Amino acid sequence: MKTRSIIDTEFVVRSIAETAIENEEAFCELDSVVGDGDFGYSLARGFEKVLEEWDVFDRTDSSIFLKSIAHTITSRIGGTSGPLWGTAFLRASTAVRGRDAVGGADVVAMLRAAIAGIKDRGKSDVGDKTLLDALVPATDALEVAVAQGSSFEKALDEAAKAARVAADATSSLQARRGRASYTGERSIGSPDAGAVAVAIILERLTVEARAR
Amino acid sequence: MKKFINDPKNFVPEMLKGLALANPDTLKYVPEYNLIHRADAPNADKVTIIQGSGSGHEPAHVMTVGRGMLDAACPGDVFAAPPVDYVYETTKLLASPKGVLLLVNNYTGDRMAFEMAQEMARADGIRVEMLFIDDDVAVEDSLYTIGRRGVAGNFFVMKAVGAAAEAGADLDEIIRIGEKVNSVTRTMGVALTACTPPAKGSPLFDLGPDEIEIGIGIHGEPGRRRGKLVSADEIVDDILGAVITDLPFTSGDRVALMVNGLGGTPISELYLLYGLAHEKLVSAGITVGRNYVGEYCTSLDMAGASITLVKLDEEIEALLAAPAEIPIRVF
Repeated sequence: MKTRSIIDTEFVVRSIAETAIENEEAFCELDSVVGDGDFGYSLARGFEKVLEEWDVFDRTDSSIFLKSIAHTITSRIGGTSGPLWGTAFLRASTAVRGRDAVGGADVVAMLRAAIAGIKDRGKSDVGDKTLLDALVPATDALEVAVAQGSSFEKALDEAAKAARVAADATSSLQARRGRASYTGERSIGSPDAGAVAVAIILERLTVEARAR
Repeated sequence: MKKFINDPKNFVPEMLKGLALANPDTLKYVPEYNLIHRADAPNADKVTIIQGSGSGHEPAHVMTVGRGMLDAACPGDVFAAPPVDYVYETTKLLASPKGVLLLVNNYTGDRMAFEMAQEMARADGIRVEMLFIDDDVAVEDSLYTIGRRGVAGNFFVMKAVGAAAEAGADLDEIIRIGEKVNSVTRTMGVALTACTPPAKGSPLFDLGPDEIEIGIGIHGEPGRRRGKLVSADEIVDDILGAVITDLPFTSGDRVALMVNGLGGTPISELYLLYGLAHEKLVSAGITVGRNYVGEYCTSLDMAGASITLVKLDEEIEALLAAPAEIPIRVF
């Protein structure tokens, strides 16, 4: 029988995958303003693969499940997204290695580990106009809400709101990593596609978590 | 968009299948990893040379697999670095006891994928080194990027390390040669139109009917500035000037001069550009020792061209002159 934490983890990963696939065109459009327009395509192809292999992932515990997802993402997604998202899932998995139950504090720890992984792999940080610019403030908001004893749905909502504000604010930043960085000052004025994707994923997770 | 495609998702596999079918004796195709490799690779007597990169730059790099050039290429989708698996599996499949050299054009995605694959292959005990190519002078500010991009100049690195590997040089020697060639190679491009990636179906960026992008990247990344369309003479002055002053190339130098088409410019215009560039070099006291005119590293259907200069010495010139056999040069 599946544990509660496996069911929760499955729910989150499936929601991310479906969001990525359904928003393929929107993410490509966002990326084509200053990037090269393939962000949505890469992400959708990779998460399609995740859903294709959905039934065969090892579900011994949440950590092992996430690790097998990370392997599929890393090995099948090209461009910058494969290494970055794959590393994020892998680091998140190691943050809860050997744990049966995954609570709010664990989710924060997983996100912190994922953020550290993305920083290492991409040699980037907050302010470089990447997905980190939404993911870090969202994690901060989630941590505060969890510490205040909010319900998970409420905490998720806070994270989504923080991600949206931060993603919109990337418009004023100059890109320092990825293809968009070559546009220099011309990257100012439109938001980062990765940061917006983080906001959209969290917003959808919030809606789906409420409906569960 | 008007293109010869079926499903955009199959654009790259269908191209690779065609390439393999057209070269049954010399090339092998492994569809799982978008892998095109020499039929006689791996060869225990030579270092294996592999290049990845995204697709959309053909003939780079799948059509430069052959004797005296690459042993294998495992491109990602159009303009996307290959997944880590492609590089890792290609490295394992083609590993030689003399080692493997991964040639990587300097982009964020390619660096990450190749670094991860290199770590994995090393964990398997394979000797694998990496060489980054970054010849594009258009990127001036490395504070805001991961550094200069690898563009058409990658041909010269491929050609030189390919020739050295064919002659039996060891991995350290090949790396020395590759780094040396990269260090004296400079390129700058100009776009007259944007390219249209098959999956996107529309031009990648907006360029007005009378506008050009100076310093364009091979994925449509902006360059130094956008300007009005001017005469070929003025464009060559601009582009060639940026290349010459960067190294700098000076009077008395002997160079290889490449005029590379970006995919949508006819060969007639490329030779027109070549003539202008050649004469300008001669009047600057620079000797053109070798010349290259045609498509070497494209950006799908983009109209435009790039100019590359390589500072020659005896060693580099001999490696560039060594025989090579690749699909697009078979008559």
